[in-house]
Amino acid sequence: MKIMNKFGLILAGSLFGTSGAFAADAAHGKKLFEECVACHSLERGVNGVGPSLQGMFERKAGDVAEYRYSPAMKRSGIAWSAQTLDAYLAYPQNNIKGNRMPYSGMPEARDRADLIEYLRTATK
Amino acid sequence: MTTKLKEVDVLLVGLGWTGGILAKELTEAGHQVVALERGAMRSTENDFAVPRIRDDLRYASRNDLMQNPAKDTLTIRNNPSQLALPMRRLGSFLPGEGVGGAGVHWNGVTWRWTDNELKVRSLYEERYGKNYIPADMTIQDWGVTYAELEPYYEKFERTAAVSGKAGNLRGVIQKGGNPFEGPRANEYPLPALESSHASDLFNTAATNLGHNPFPCPTANASRAYTNPDGSKFGACQYCGFCERFGCEANAKGSPHITVIPIAMKNPKFELRTHAWVTKVLKDSTGKRVTGVTYTNVLNGEEFEQPARLVVLCAYAINNVHLMLLSGIGKPYDPVAQTGVIGKNYCYQTGASATLFFDGNYFNPFMGTGGLNARADDFHSNWNFDRSKYGYVGGATLGAGMTNGRPIAYRPVPAGTPRWGKAWKDATAKWYNSAMNINASGSVMANRYNYYDLDPTYRNAFGLPMMRMTFDYKENEHKMGRHIAGVINEIAKSMNPTSLNPASARSGSWSVVPYQSTHNTGGTIMGTNPGNSAVNKYLQSWDCHNLFIMGASVFPHNAAYNPTGPVGALAYRAADTLKNVYLKNPGPLVSA
Repeated sequence: MKIMNKFGLILAGSLFGTSGAFAADAAHGKKLFEECVACHSLERGVNGVGPSLQGMFERKAGDVAEYRYSPAMKRSGIAWSAQTLDAYLAYPQNNIKGNRMPYSGMPEARDRADLIEYLRTATK
Repeated sequence: MTTKLKEVDVLLVGLGWTGGILAKELTEAGHQVVALERGAMRSTENDFAVPRIRDDLRYASRNDLMQNPAKDTLTIRNNPSQLALPMRRLGSFLPGEGVGGAGVHWNGVTWRWTDNELKVRSLYEERYGKNYIPADMTIQDWGVTYAELEPYYEKFERTAAVSGKAGNLRGVIQKGGNPFEGPRANEYPLPALESSHASDLFNTAATNLGHNPFPCPTANASRAYTNPDGSKFGACQYCGFCERFGCEANAKGSPHITVIPIAMKNPKFELRTHAWVTKVLKDSTGKRVTGVTYTNVLNGEEFEQPARLVVLCAYAINNVHLMLLSGIGKPYDPVAQTGVIGKNYCYQTGASATLFFDGNYFNPFMGTGGLNARADDFHSNWNFDRSKYGYVGGATLGAGMTNGRPIAYRPVPAGTPRWGKAWKDATAKWYNSAMNINASGSVMANRYNYYDLDPTYRNAFGLPMMRMTFDYKENEHKMGRHIAGVINEIAKSMNPTSLNPASARSGSWSVVPYQSTHNTGGTIMGTNPGNSAVNKYLQSWDCHNLFIMGASVFPHNAAYNPTGPVGALAYRAADTLKNVYLKNPGPLVSA
């Protein structure tokens, strides 16, 4: 929970436009997105190994039509937000046990904040 | 009844690495290309997603991505005096099938073969004298040099996301890389993978004994990567399901995520799956091919597909089989030593030791195809004096973790019962506390190791099976004895709790246990039609509009994995086809 608390502060910083040491960096987030792009597109309806991320912050986990999710993801009941995505990306298998995303996680809270900052606009 | 189709510019037989490279390059150059693939379509999202791909039983024990020997197989024997019998289950080697071919389920290890191999006969004769090479060792120079292949090695490494550390940049030896590799124009496209604990222990021990270990170059992306064609790779997750599996994370250099999807988007390209080519057709002069016949394996329908250019891109064994079935080129006769098709079949050899360290944890479930430290001191190191041991060729040594799969990986100390409580206790105790040091060794061509058509057995299409005649010769046994000694010296210096030492193999080769899928030769390249099936551009000496890709063109087999030169030679052939041959078709080297 320590990471979550720390992240909560980071997020607050970015949401309210506070500049400073903890402002999330969307440009760095875009670079980090290279770790995702082999499987996830940002275009509506273009699913790869993973589902398209387009519009993800308006969705619940597991609801892209035409994509075959794991039962674990469908059952998770998670609505994607900066907070839920942060918890998921930190350690995907721990967060939604039995999900099928073959990614071990992004351990640095700062990196996750930057990536999420990028995704907030890139997925619109 | 055979349906005759409309002629196409270029026909590719098989769609793995080499077919994929040619499909992309030739369609981009504006040529119309049709690929006939005997297996099914494959994609990461539909076929290799977690959790279904992590099925040790389905993919590794039952070879789900491999060829089905009930349709076609080889007959096998060790020497010409024996009766060859069909290999009814896959064993010693595992030929791939389906879109992407074996490029889907390889480990990813990508070497640049040096002039030690490409100029093998002239270099050994120059250094050790003409009499050093045994009379029945039919090795020859390949007709290409490392310098000619260097840019194409690089091109393939960049396409396939090869991770590694250069040991020789433009002639300057680099710390941490392989000091015996050929000079590279540039670093590897990706930094080396993380090191495993087993690699670390090996590195220390091998270095202390004066060897030069380095991280194995391998197409397992050490981090996310976009290749020069725009294909996207994820970072390797070290899941341990590499060899015999498709990569779930798009992190392994594979044609089905790189060159093939680019070709598929091009309207000039057409792929027909389940299309099994049975014959390459010649015109009445015998100097040109006119196309192929193939069978749709889903319904048995037969087609003739005329083509202006035919390129064989199937697995090495199947390219040779197709040449023999089509009667192109003279079949090799080991007694008269005439003919070339089927000549110089080679394989690989090896030795390995297992080390058990009580209280030391290796986490074998964290691994990837090329997660290895290797040492090249007894292979590409030309200064290593082979005359002390009397052999040609050599072996690479190494240690790492490629997988800890539940069925496949059960290391136990020698003498442990093979079943029951004692075995269960030992397998539980040592699963996480064992490591392996292995050697991969070359096999030199021999007069009596070859392919021809079997006189008796036929495949599902009623065609003669191909017959493989192979055994290890004294050259390989000498190398095996030397290299097993080197392994054991390193292993003992590491002071393990217990050691299953390496031993040189002594008996005949058997097709039953898995050994290596690095089958080479049969349609070899060379300097003239008397010694080879194809010239240095992989063009048939007999029919100038027929080209052959893949490891069947290798005149012998090194200790290295074959995919590096397979990819480089395919890129070079693609350049030759685009820039020279297709503009002005004809023989590229005068016979």
